[in-house]
Amino acid sequence: MKRKFLLLVMCLLTFHLSFAQNTITVQGRVTDAETGQPLIGAGVVVQGTTTGAQTDADGNYTLSAPADGTLTFNYLGYKATSVPINNRTSINVQMETDAATLQEVVVTGYGVQEKRDVTGSIASVKSEELVRQASQNPVSSLQGKVAGVNITNTGQPGASPQIRIRGTGSALGSADPLYVVDGTFVDNLSFLNPADIESIEILKDASSAAIYGVRAANGVVLVTTKRGRSGEATVNYNGFVGVQRVTNQLEMTNAREYAQLVNEKNGSELITTNLPSTDWYDQILRTAMIHNHQVSASGGTEKVTYSASAGYLNQEGIIEGNDYRRITARLQTDFQINENIKVGYNGIFYDYKSNDIPGDIFYQAYVAPPVIPVFKANGRYGDPVDFPVGNFANPQASLDWFNQESRGQRLTGNAFAEVNFLQNFTFRTSLGLNYGIDEYRNYRSRDSLTTVQFASRSLLTQQRSKTNMWLWENTLTYDKTFGDHDLTVLLGTSAQEDKSNFLTGFANDVEFNSDANLYLDLGDPETVRIEAGGNRATFVSYFGRVNYSFLDRYLLTATLRYDASSKFPRGERWEYFPSIGLGWRVIEEDFMSNQNIFDNLKLRASWGRLGNNNVPSNIFILRVATDERFGAIRNGVLYPGWNINTTTPSTLFWEVVEEFDAGLEMGFLDNRLTVEADWYNRKTKDAIFGVTPLGYLGLGGQILGNYATFRNRGMELIANWNHDISQDFSYSIGANFSRNKNEVTDVAIENATFYNGNLPVGGYQVSVTRVGDPIGSFFGYEVEGIFQNEQEIENSAQPGASPGDFRFRDQDGNNVIDERDKRIIGNPNPGFTYGINTSFRFRSFDLQIDIQGVADVDVYNGNRNVRYGNENYDKDFYDNRWTGPGTSNSYPSADLTGRNLDPSDYYVEKGDYIRIRNLQLGYNLPESVVSTLKMRNLRVYINAQNPVTWFKYNGFSPEVGGAPVSQGIDRNVYPLSATYNFGVNATF
Amino acid sequence: MKNILYSVKRNSFILLSALTIGGLAACSEDFLDVEPEGEPVGADFFVTPEHAILAVNSIYGNLREWNVIAFAHLAITTITSDNAAKGSVPGDAGFLDEYDNFTITPTEGQLNGYWNGQYQAINLTNQVLTNVPLINMDETLKQRLLAEAKFFRAYHYFNLVRTFGGVPLRLAVPVVGEQEDPSTLNLPRSSSEEVYAQIVKDLTEAAAVLPPTYPTAERGRATQGAALGMLAKVQLYQRNWQQVVDLANQVEGLGYRLVDDYYSIFRIAGEHNAESIFEIEAQTIPGNCPASNSQWAEVQGVRGQFGWGFVEPTEDLVNAYEEGDERLDATILFRGETTPEGDLINPNAPNPRYNQKAYVPGFVTNECGYAKDQNVRILRFAEVLLMRAEASNELGDTQQALADLNRVRVRAGLDPIESATQEELRNLIWHERRVELALENGDRFFDLVRQGRAAEVLQAQGKQFQAGKNELMPIPQQQIILSGGTLTQNPGY
Repeated sequence: MKRKFLLLVMCLLTFHLSFAQNTITVQGRVTDAETGQPLIGAGVVVQGTTTGAQTDADGNYTLSAPADGTLTFNYLGYKATSVPINNRTSINVQMETDAATLQEVVVTGYGVQEKRDVTGSIASVKSEELVRQASQNPVSSLQGKVAGVNITNTGQPGASPQIRIRGTGSALGSADPLYVVDGTFVDNLSFLNPADIESIEILKDASSAAIYGVRAANGVVLVTTKRGRSGEATVNYNGFVGVQRVTNQLEMTNAREYAQLVNEKNGSELITTNLPSTDWYDQILRTAMIHNHQVSASGGTEKVTYSASAGYLNQEGIIEGNDYRRITARLQTDFQINENIKVGYNGIFYDYKSNDIPGDIFYQAYVAPPVIPVFKANGRYGDPVDFPVGNFANPQASLDWFNQESRGQRLTGNAFAEVNFLQNFTFRTSLGLNYGIDEYRNYRSRDSLTTVQFASRSLLTQQRSKTNMWLWENTLTYDKTFGDHDLTVLLGTSAQEDKSNFLTGFANDVEFNSDANLYLDLGDPETVRIEAGGNRATFVSYFGRVNYSFLDRYLLTATLRYDASSKFPRGERWEYFPSIGLGWRVIEEDFMSNQNIFDNLKLRASWGRLGNNNVPSNIFILRVATDERFGAIRNGVLYPGWNINTTTPSTLFWEVVEEFDAGLEMGFLDNRLTVEADWYNRKTKDAIFGVTPLGYLGLGGQILGNYATFRNRGMELIANWNHDISQDFSYSIGANFSRNKNEVTDVAIENATFYNGNLPVGGYQVSVTRVGDPIGSFFGYEVEGIFQNEQEIENSAQPGASPGDFRFRDQDGNNVIDERDKRIIGNPNPGFTYGINTSFRFRSFDLQIDIQGVADVDVYNGNRNVRYGNENYDKDFYDNRWTGPGTSNSYPSADLTGRNLDPSDYYVEKGDYIRIRNLQLGYNLPESVVSTLKMRNLRVYINAQNPVTWFKYNGFSPEVGGAPVSQGIDRNVYPLSATYNFGVNATF
Repeated sequence: MKNILYSVKRNSFILLSALTIGGLAACSEDFLDVEPEGEPVGADFFVTPEHAILAVNSIYGNLREWNVIAFAHLAITTITSDNAAKGSVPGDAGFLDEYDNFTITPTEGQLNGYWNGQYQAINLTNQVLTNVPLINMDETLKQRLLAEAKFFRAYHYFNLVRTFGGVPLRLAVPVVGEQEDPSTLNLPRSSSEEVYAQIVKDLTEAAAVLPPTYPTAERGRATQGAALGMLAKVQLYQRNWQQVVDLANQVEGLGYRLVDDYYSIFRIAGEHNAESIFEIEAQTIPGNCPASNSQWAEVQGVRGQFGWGFVEPTEDLVNAYEEGDERLDATILFRGETTPEGDLINPNAPNPRYNQKAYVPGFVTNECGYAKDQNVRILRFAEVLLMRAEASNELGDTQQALADLNRVRVRAGLDPIESATQEELRNLIWHERRVELALENGDRFFDLVRQGRAAEVLQAQGKQFQAGKNELMPIPQQQIILSGGTLTQNPGY
């Protein structure tokens, strides 16, 4: 019977009072009635008291109870059982699975539902999965775990990965999904310790997500943190310590090779080829430490349950001087005030501090010529001026000079009250809050490191920004069964205000004696300057949902959300977002009773509309530019200048996503093998898109409006195999695979091509969005070959070329190479993503191997393409370049200038990769040892994360990411590193 | 299906209304009307006289923009010419070699930067010219501000027409609060004659209103002399010789005179001297590097010692100076020399020569980067004299031509020219223009084109200049694409 609505865990306790007369010690074992397997962590409570216990790893419990009392046994997914003690000291209980559940409960928006009743596509990742990842960011842990979810990870400590659910759903902004943590909307999950999470649900299809209407266009990620259960307190410690090392380090040329290339390029010996060589990556990279500890406690009585935790993470970055420290703390308490009223709260505190590095340090290390030494003989930094190569920062000097510290705190919380009345009604009101402060302090000391890195005055920059969000939601739920009809109706309202602002101060000449001196008022008052800004958005919504099932076979879910956002003008701001989902549990049909192939068979189909609110505030309001640079200078005095250098779209309305999803769920061999397949067609209509205006309009940026319609179509396939071969050995293998195809189907301006993806040197735009092609496709020339000699050039469409230059394909055959000869040369939208997750348990050992990959995706090698002058070259280029007739017909000469830098397919490379994501070997110490340590359970493990990644791309990492319309252009990313950990899980 | 859902919705609405407690009353439209935080709203702008002043200020501030004054400007106007090569070290910003060699293709990025930079400036002038007339304010001030905007609209269109030929002529923007008619959003190129006509109109109107001088605190604003002098130059390009003479006479009547020391003109102390007619103001504003953003001099500074080392004066320019011409040393900074201010120019600098008109002594602050204090000299009286000399010569007034020419020569420490034929004098004046104004405000390439000898002179320098093509730069390819082909390319590209 599905009765556990609105709460993941609910106490099914009654309130008989019993008076202890004679206390005895009761012990026993709790097992599954069907399999005889012990149930671990089941709750045992003496009815009417606060006395309770939890079963241990073998299903055993011990507690003191009145001889005439009653014990109540609870376990998620099983029927609660009450057993009178009757003076017995040993009570073994076999618990039966709750007939109506297939164990798995998934969290849906504003409620929970058994997986078997779900009509949409919801992926669920449980805490057991998450804690095994040794990842520091919960989103990062999902990589390779969920079909249809593509995660682009970054190695930067504290940074959030990029996530795309079923392709790129919107064009503007981050295209990130909505994150909901215990009902509170947040922007990212970097404030959460993965160990605090009970489950993560990803609402992939529109019908599941439509209850979040306007926020849901890019999918919804629901996070449920752990809650206490009544019973004896449990204390856990999880910790690991490890080292991180970069893998796949990109090989650049050494001094000799570089000098050779520069000399070839300039046609004369500019640099001697016998200079000592600097490998700048070796110079700035390091093996970094990481350690992480978390202690949690949970427990409670019938009336009060709690869960609390504290976590500490200290992670060094793989770049010298980069480190990140995170403290997380969480407290959650629920109070059952009386039979009908329950209140509770949940607070998550997050505090971080990081020592930062220059954002472009990987770029600096890529381009810095290897002929520049780190230090000169006189101890000063190696200086580009000593070599005829151009202006380059000495990356080591950049790191040493850079002094920036970021810190911040965030409190995310939620308080609720819930009232049950008239048997079937539940009213819940909840207030979510998110309050955060982020600060950074940057001090550029007065120094002269090299001729290009100097400051004649010191500069202190301090920024403080504040975010402040409240979300008030009210829901009324009606839940009733009439014979064969199950009905749940949910109605709700939601109001939200999201506010942020920042204040940045600058001052010169603050004297540095210690960090404690770094205050703006200690600088030259004449130089003190302030920048400030803010953002505010409000939302109002009404929503409702009906879940109906008949005979447990025919399922219907219908939702409607009526949403308004301040981001749209009056008259356009209210919109309906309906959805409907249908399910048919074929397995329950009579005609299925005689077959023995399927243990589960379910068909489902859904359709829904979603909105995208992920657009900047106020784009429909014309605003005034007040930048400092517009100030007029007269007689040495600056007078502010204001102007209007933007425009607003003539109309602006909701960008809407409509999605159809069809799914099939199957179970075979006693559900040891489960297979789930989904097909979807997701259309983003009137996407808000930035269009580069004609230059003569003189506008400062892009015009935003409803300019494009595009589609993501694809399928997902998930197969899981679980087999408990014996008491000693069990294993599981899961595989997920997804295919997505993105295509622009319409643009508001006829035949228009929208350009993005700026590459600075030539002002080229390499990403185009146009009808018939994927969003943000790479656009450029096809390289036919390399000009081998002057004669080939004479007979070509490129009379100005030199031998060794690219010969571009003259697509239109008019003997001129121009814009008309450009073609789509690559697609940065991943076609395939997949993951293989395995786990094995043999006696006390467990082994987990996860593999993950992306295929059918292109990367634009912007590092190779963006060249101002004598930047360093990668070794692959050196090895393969053209050096004379017949030496290469695909790589050009070292003279990478002029048209050789026009966007072409030479710079487009396969971004496919396959990675061993996680390798973990654990050992549960024998009970004899554990009990002497006064523990319930002790597991130790070794873990290797990302130890190996295979790819062919000529860069540091093919995981590039980027904004939807200009994604996949590699201009240097902070690569993921391999992490090797030793860890401990202990339960007390 | 939808109907069912919608009726569910209506019923639910009644229930929901019952659900809402107190605070949801706030959830009205008012709650959803949110003003932009920390940003003035367009609808509230162009209301007060202060707004008019702020809007005109931004026209001036914009003159320091990278796209308007740095690489693109120097590439198009100077590296193209026989006065300078790319400079810096080989390969550094190699795309600038395309200007040196005339291998420029329409996708070269500086073109688009220059185009956008000039039009962004024009937009600022159009903002003022459209909106300020509607402001209720002191009429004299209003007319002056409008005249300043016209001066700059003309200035930027003049840069465009010299570079690209005819360009789209946009002269108004929507009044704040009104939407633009989409049909006007893709203007074709006007002819260069139409563009010149508009420039003449704007400058004429500006000259009629602008004051001859401003109080010291207002120094840097466009004056009547600036408008007249600029108009003279525009007429020079159109060979309207009599107008050039008349306008030059008017400028002279405003009291400008040559200063004695040529070198002092280009030092910070020489800003706005008696000869100066218009300068772009640049200054290190303490604590405000975003506003201290002119990179015109920084990119030309001695490489490794001061700046980036671009725009290397050519040997040919050195040789163009006559024996004893004081301007050679004032114009060209030789590596190894010691400047009058006492800076030893690095003898090992990668380039033999740098632009001394962009030189800022080492003792001047570089807290926002090198040479953020160097004004760009756009128009000085010496040029007006040379314009009048050239026009007078064309009109046959040799005496006037010689007189003006010799004022400039004598100040430079040279002997006056006693007599010359019209043809000789024409060449002498052209030559004088080159050495007097070299590396200063980017006229040399346009002068050569205007004088009809660009191919002859530049090919002699070994440049791949093609007559009939390279007189104009290509229209940026990106603009042609964005226009969907409405903008047409210049011949030969």
